[in-house]
Amino acid sequence: MPVYRVDPPACRLSVEAEGMTLLYHRPSGITHVLLPPAPEILTALADGPADPATLAARLAVSHAIGDGDGEDAAAVIAARLGELAAVGLVAVAPGIGGRVAG
Amino acid sequence: MPPAGDVPPSGAGATRRRLMLGAAAASTVVTIRPALAATVGSVMNCEVPVPDPRLGAGKWIDGRGQLVDAGTAGSFRPPNRPLKAEDIRKAMQGANFPGADYETSRAYMAYIRKLQNGMSGFTCYQSLQMPRA
Repeated sequence: MPVYRVDPPACRLSVEAEGMTLLYHRPSGITHVLLPPAPEILTALADGPADPATLAARLAVSHAIGDGDGEDAAAVIAARLGELAAVGLVAVAPGIGGRVAG
Repeated sequence: MPPAGDVPPSGAGATRRRLMLGAAAASTVVTIRPALAATVGSVMNCEVPVPDPRLGAGKWIDGRGQLVDAGTAGSFRPPNRPLKAEDIRKAMQGANFPGADYETSRAYMAYIRKLQNGMSGFTCYQSLQMPRA
């Protein structure tokens, strides 16, 4: 599974309201509306580049994972990471630089 | 001020927050598209750093707009300061950037055309491509 990275928290300005997170990404100047578990994934990824399975383990430390579907957590997180990558909030490591070269 | 009893616990003994992961197919991200260029003239004051300092500090730009090590043959030293939207607009029509020759200007434009969502300057360049009323 691919390893993802995220910009430092200082690159993001976010406001939480009624279960949604309004997030302004400073480098791109674009605003996004996020629903759980996307904001939590960004926070967990800020601890360092990680693949979906590693992120699932990190989130399980800080959160009580719902739905009782622990075995599928990595698959759900992988789907969310793909979504976040599509809008430029995360990138496949070793970094966005790879996208420039590609 | 909330009563002391409402203050959530913290530290190692804190209750873990519950997190519903939901289904893999359930989308959780909506992007609010910028609609700048058609409405605000001041968008022409935006800038595009070449290269994005997060990606290529110290890197040079080759003729295809890719980042390469400084001094690489056939590459160009990046501009000293971010490129201005107005200069990019002129360069899109074939002009050179101030202080840059033809080849250098084309390399800068090649880099700018490769900008992707999430990279510094992407929104600025995107706004330049929008049809203007």
